[in-house]
Amino acid sequence: MIIVQILINGLLLGGFYAVIGVGFSLIWGVTNIINLAHGAMALLGAYITFFLFQEYGIDPFLSLPFSFLCLFIFGYILQRFLLNLVVRAQIFMLLILTFGIEIFLVNFMTTFFSADFRSITPEYAGTSFVIGDIVIPYIRLAVFAICIFVTFLLSLFLNKTWHGKAIKATSLDLDAAMMVGISPAKIYALTFAIASGIAGVAGSLLPLTQAFSPSIAGSLTLRAFTVSILGGLGRVEGALIGGILLGIAETLSSYFIGESYKNAITLGIMVLVLVIKPTGLLGKKYFAEVKH
Amino acid sequence: MKRLGFMIVILSLICLLAAPLFAADVIKFGAAISLTGKLAKEGNLVKMGYELWKETVNKKGGIKIGNKYYKVDIKYYDDESDPNRAAKLVEKLITEDGIKLILGPYGSESVFSTSAIAEKYGALMVQGGAGADKLYTRGFKNLFGVYTVATEYMDDTLKMLQNKTPKPNTVAIVYSNDIFSTQVAQGAKASAQKYGYKVVYYKDYPKGTQDLSTVIVEIKAKNPDILIGCGHFQDTVVIVKQSKDYKLNPKAIAFSVGPTLPDFVTALKGDAEYVFGSAQWTPVLKYKDPVFGSNANFVKAFKSKFRVEPNYHAAGGTTAAIIFQRAIEKAGSFTDINKIRQALLSFNEETLFGKIRFDSTGKVVGKGMPVIQILKGTQRTVYPDNVAETKPVYPKPAWR
Repeated sequence: MIIVQILINGLLLGGFYAVIGVGFSLIWGVTNIINLAHGAMALLGAYITFFLFQEYGIDPFLSLPFSFLCLFIFGYILQRFLLNLVVRAQIFMLLILTFGIEIFLVNFMTTFFSADFRSITPEYAGTSFVIGDIVIPYIRLAVFAICIFVTFLLSLFLNKTWHGKAIKATSLDLDAAMMVGISPAKIYALTFAIASGIAGVAGSLLPLTQAFSPSIAGSLTLRAFTVSILGGLGRVEGALIGGILLGIAETLSSYFIGESYKNAITLGIMVLVLVIKPTGLLGKKYFAEVKH
Repeated sequence: MKRLGFMIVILSLICLLAAPLFAADVIKFGAAISLTGKLAKEGNLVKMGYELWKETVNKKGGIKIGNKYYKVDIKYYDDESDPNRAAKLVEKLITEDGIKLILGPYGSESVFSTSAIAEKYGALMVQGGAGADKLYTRGFKNLFGVYTVATEYMDDTLKMLQNKTPKPNTVAIVYSNDIFSTQVAQGAKASAQKYGYKVVYYKDYPKGTQDLSTVIVEIKAKNPDILIGCGHFQDTVVIVKQSKDYKLNPKAIAFSVGPTLPDFVTALKGDAEYVFGSAQWTPVLKYKDPVFGSNANFVKAFKSKFRVEPNYHAAGGTTAAIIFQRAIEKAGSFTDINKIRQALLSFNEETLFGKIRFDSTGKVVGKGMPVIQILKGTQRTVYPDNVAETKPVYPKPAWR
């Protein structure tokens, strides 16, 4: 029965990984920017939630929309006025720029918020519902539900609204999109803003389940990276599948092989996917490749 | 001309010989320490310890050698929590800055790398920032440390619990796979077996992991009486949170690192209650000290300078500097490395950190490892009995 518990843990963990990864995947697929500052931006969301809880006692779940809004605005400004300047340049330039932004953000957070590890323990922390031998913590379940909801909302946005379809159009064929009156700069900025907002939401969920500090920014970006590779770039559903797969892979490998090999195995899986199906498990063609 | 040349030579010789007399009456110490990076918090605390010592000693005139007083100064470099960088910076301190009295960095990896540099160049290092046993098994002559070593971290805790009712029989040990934590776990296992416990779980996890749900679930299946976690602050918080999530209810939970840091209670609130921690030092231990007079005085001085309570990282730093000072005073020199080393080897004094004595490898002996417990949201010293504030609470009530 312990294996069922392990699988459920993996599933719930996977939902969280999906939310970390979906923004990263979207930006990469649509604007061709590999946002190495993704983890750092998620941490900004984490700090917003942490400080709201600590100073004003605001429940972490209630701070999510606020976190989304703050990171949305931040992402929009960052893309529109900084990243947009180099978005047509070689991918190497973009990597350096986002890497620089990551360094800046991490050091900013370390200087002003200190390197202390933070965590939130609200009243209802640790409560779970029990079915026989299986324990399902409420917070983890809520985090999973939010992740599914966010992914669903994003999918709805991309497929049903004008702006969403414009984003997809831009990533498929930039010239054609421009011909029908879509402004790439604005669309890129919108995409980046949404992805940043979602990163902020993911970060806001961090303090509930673990302790965070600016030093974990890199590992969050790595998770986002792995999820994107597994699921296929730019595909929202792909990120969800990729995230859940990653979560289950982690918990299973921890159980069968050992916790210390967990990272080696999950990265091994990523390499395997790159070798066997480089476009990811759900990706058809690499979105951006359709460009010329 | 020849006479002028001769005069110049004589004058230069006199200047050279007299230079030491004109040199500033300052004893220079050097330290590469983690002011930024993963270990920034601890590194800065150690630096605060060094700074308080420096200020206190200089206020009294300085270190006394013979009839003269020498002020002290410390040159710092930021090793960014990177052991390789720390080693390079210590090499810089020795070769470029000409400093042979090195105050240790924070963290076993950094002390490991920098002490090798100090040994190579014949510089002395006294450190209050690392306790890995491996530090003292390399045959080095120039390294001295005040931390009780890793393998002895959990010994007093297990000793304290062995006769409590209901008697605990089984122990689960989980640890982070870095040098220090691995050795704490090995020592904990040996101590557990020494005191007659059965070790039912013994596994490691990657350093800095953010999810331990599988491990917690596995431990729960073994139903141990005592859960021992050997890691660092970040994983300790995760273990407590996830123990509550999955309803893991041992009779006692003890960590090698974590509960002694004030942020432990801030992060976990009520869930931190009843958790035990091993402490190199606590502010309430009733020890006398050669520089501050007593541990209590040290705590007061620290609070008035930095406006926070000192923790063991800061106390360790101050103690390392105090020991260096006392050794220099005993040796009667701050440049004769051999004499200072001899003074360190024969050191046997009570300091704010405890009764300090070193064995031939530079490892501190006989200091012990006090145990604290979080009770009503504050850290209380519960062991050893003769310096404890209060009695430990056992067994731990089940999670609600």
